[in-house]
Amino acid sequence: MTSKSNHLPAATTMHTTMLQWLGISIRGVMRTRHGAIGLVLLVLLALVAMAAPSIATFGPFEQTASSLAPPGAEHYFGTDNVGRDIFSMVIYGTRASLAIGFGAAFAALIIGGTIGILAGYFGGWVESVLMRVTELFQTLPVILFVLLAVALFGSSFWLLIAAVTLAIWPVEARLIYGQYLKLRNREFVAAARVIDLSTTHIVLREILPNAIQPVIVQVALDASVAILIEAGLGFLGLSDPNMVSWGQLLFTAQDYMSQAWWMSVFPGAAICLAIIAFNLFADGLNEASDSRRKGTQVGLER
Amino acid sequence: MDTTENIPVRDMGAEFAAPAEAALLLDVRNLKVHLRTSDAVVRAVDGVDFQVAPGECVGIVGESGSGKSTLARAVSRLMAQVQFAELSGTADFNGADTLTMSTQALRNLRRKSGFSMIFQDPLGYLNPTMRVGRQIREALSPGHYAMPELERIHALLREVGLRDVEHVARRFPHELSGGMRQRIMIAMALASEPLLLFADEPTTALDATVQLQVLETLHRLHLERRMAMVIITHDLGVVAALCDRVYVMRGGKVVESANTIELFDAPRHPYSARLIELTRRSRPATQGTP
Amino acid sequence: MLRFTLLRILHAVPLLIAVILVIFLMQQMIPGDPVQAMVGDFPVPQAFRDAIELRYRLNDPLYVRIWSYFANLAQGDFGFSYHSQRPVLELILERAPRTILLASAGFAVAIPLGMVIGVLTGTTRRAGVDQAWTTTTLVLYAVPTFWLGQLMVLLFAVKLNWFPTQGMGPLLSQAKGLDWMLERLYYMALPVGAFAVHEAMRVARIMRASVIDTLGQGYVVTARAKGLRRNTIIWRHILRNSSLPLVTIAGYAFGAALGGAVLLETVFTWPGLGLLMIEAIRTSDNMTVMGVVIFSALAVIIMNFVVDVLYALIDPRIRHGR
Repeated sequence: MTSKSNHLPAATTMHTTMLQWLGISIRGVMRTRHGAIGLVLLVLLALVAMAAPSIATFGPFEQTASSLAPPGAEHYFGTDNVGRDIFSMVIYGTRASLAIGFGAAFAALIIGGTIGILAGYFGGWVESVLMRVTELFQTLPVILFVLLAVALFGSSFWLLIAAVTLAIWPVEARLIYGQYLKLRNREFVAAARVIDLSTTHIVLREILPNAIQPVIVQVALDASVAILIEAGLGFLGLSDPNMVSWGQLLFTAQDYMSQAWWMSVFPGAAICLAIIAFNLFADGLNEASDSRRKGTQVGLER
Repeated sequence: MDTTENIPVRDMGAEFAAPAEAALLLDVRNLKVHLRTSDAVVRAVDGVDFQVAPGECVGIVGESGSGKSTLARAVSRLMAQVQFAELSGTADFNGADTLTMSTQALRNLRRKSGFSMIFQDPLGYLNPTMRVGRQIREALSPGHYAMPELERIHALLREVGLRDVEHVARRFPHELSGGMRQRIMIAMALASEPLLLFADEPTTALDATVQLQVLETLHRLHLERRMAMVIITHDLGVVAALCDRVYVMRGGKVVESANTIELFDAPRHPYSARLIELTRRSRPATQGTP
Repeated sequence: MLRFTLLRILHAVPLLIAVILVIFLMQQMIPGDPVQAMVGDFPVPQAFRDAIELRYRLNDPLYVRIWSYFANLAQGDFGFSYHSQRPVLELILERAPRTILLASAGFAVAIPLGMVIGVLTGTTRRAGVDQAWTTTTLVLYAVPTFWLGQLMVLLFAVKLNWFPTQGMGPLLSQAKGLDWMLERLYYMALPVGAFAVHEAMRVARIMRASVIDTLGQGYVVTARAKGLRRNTIIWRHILRNSSLPLVTIAGYAFGAALGGAVLLETVFTWPGLGLLMIEAIRTSDNMTVMGVVIFSALAVIIMNFVVDVLYALIDPRIRHGR
């Protein structure tokens, strides 16, 4: 069986295998075209968000004398109706978007994940009820519920995250429920009771990453949806007025469409970029782990 | 004394070690099918010679991975979504090489007086959302016939041994039993009046009793239509029931070819002997003395 | 088939009840004065206050209020909009058809377009074509519909002046019959276009994945063995069998469309249900907001039911209970 030398402390083994797995995954993603572009964009966005004060040329709400100025040397993206520099606002907007995007995605992971695991673990009527509730939230036009929630309860940063999470948790719950069932049914769980611990760790190293991978993909997709919803809320004038939000910029732009196209084009492009980045990354991650038979010819023969 | 007694063994008139050159229906020479997968090249078929005379029934026998299915699919150009590392050799059907003929010529053969194929999994190989009568209608050979199409379809269904054919033709595949589905597949294959029928593991997915019935049907059709057949199977019992001659395949190559009785009496290659023994062991005597 | 239909109806009813209950409870959680919460930005003199409290039984215990709420809904009383001085249901029924018109036109364009793109990219032998389209659909799908709407307004309405920037029609339109139709189309073109792009890409992506799945099925080999032409195989066998997942997401897409309508109608000032919702939110007209949400939930549930029946019609296996 296993010799004493294989008995590393459990924590270290998990730690190193997680890092190894992370390295392998990133390399795999970078190999796919979509994944590489997505990951690079994401890193770029993160850097911009973190370094916002250094990159932006003006303060986020700073009003200057030149209102409705077209893009130029001083204001790269032009200014809005009260003279705020669009470029700086777009830069600062990265923070809110990424924060809400990641925040809501992880909140959905935790809430949805908990529900999924509870449903899988308890089974029986608990499972039925929880899955029905999940189905309920999934089929209804949750955007309207989000609007309802925001309308009734207001729109501070944390409320926004809560509202957006409300819209996206069901998919996560379903996914984790499915993955949990898949894991539970594997023989290794029964076998683990017979075999000793270190072998279990080796088995976990193989199986767990495979189970986690679709969850990571879904988190990325959730983040893109969260950003979209938040932008939508901002566009309707319902986001936190204390933060710079890309959607909010589009809201202001709405009244000046015929006069200042730059107010709409640049913030919108930023939203697009963020959503595309997450989607490409998720796509790349999917492709990397799909290990599609490279020898296959696509399509239908003549 | 051996347990292959339950299956009717083919009665041979003439001696067929290999058919006369002149009248070959299908003449495959040095066929190589090498497939490219993500990490390696798989030599599915590696230099195979293989002949079928008109009206003859030939068996190709081997374990999974021996290349027997690939052989048939490559010759009829029904391989799906693979990349070829190599595809060489000739497969002359009535003089024309199927491997290099134009798609139009190939289509013509498939639609009329050429070859057809039936498959192991009738449920998967029938369109689940289309009524079976209509699926047969699609396969009918074009041209002017005395009977209207519907009657031709019903006639085909009766020919393969189905009853209540008007009712059956309007069913969907999942509404029929496994045996009935396989008969539908056979009817579809016969609709184009083929000179040659490929049957890829025709009875493997069926229950034991149904297997016998389908084998009998195939045998009858072979005689009534004077249609050549190529039976691909791992089950020598099927070969014993239907085939005049047998090719034994292993690892992409033909290791032995002989006429059926000779093969069973005195297999020349040890692998063939092994296959025969395995078949005997896996078929318990259902009646009579062991 | 009938039994199947009845079962689906039975399935939908508790769902609707649960939704209404949740909405009602949400309303109870609104901070502040409950009467003001119902009425919104409308001044409430004391006399009215008593009348309202009486009418909506605000001082009665919870279960009575729940019951009266449901009873009212069943009779068609979705509340009263003090801002517009009209019953909520009346407002909804006036606006809903416009949103339905927009969404229907959008789907009518998007679904065939998306299906064709999906089938062609899934069956093409040229990997380059497939790659190019996959990236295109991904990018186009990622574009927020409301921003696309703004871009279209900027380009086609403001810059090129081909289409109007907003609204459903000119203020004092006298058009009738065919003229009326053409006028509608003229005003609908841009919002429908923006809507259709997004939905078509969604459909295309799903269709392509489904087609690729179908290509691996046995009956495609059988179809080829029969000597069918490639086009026949694609448009007769593959198309139908690949469409099933589309029907599955149709219910969800409809719900998403209702949500998207809110944004799109704001861009184009299209006076539909979505714009009603926004106006109600702006004026804190919570009765209307809740009414719209309940109505939408009802519409989605009905739509899902229709979709389920449609699914059974298309796939005979489901009809027979497999």
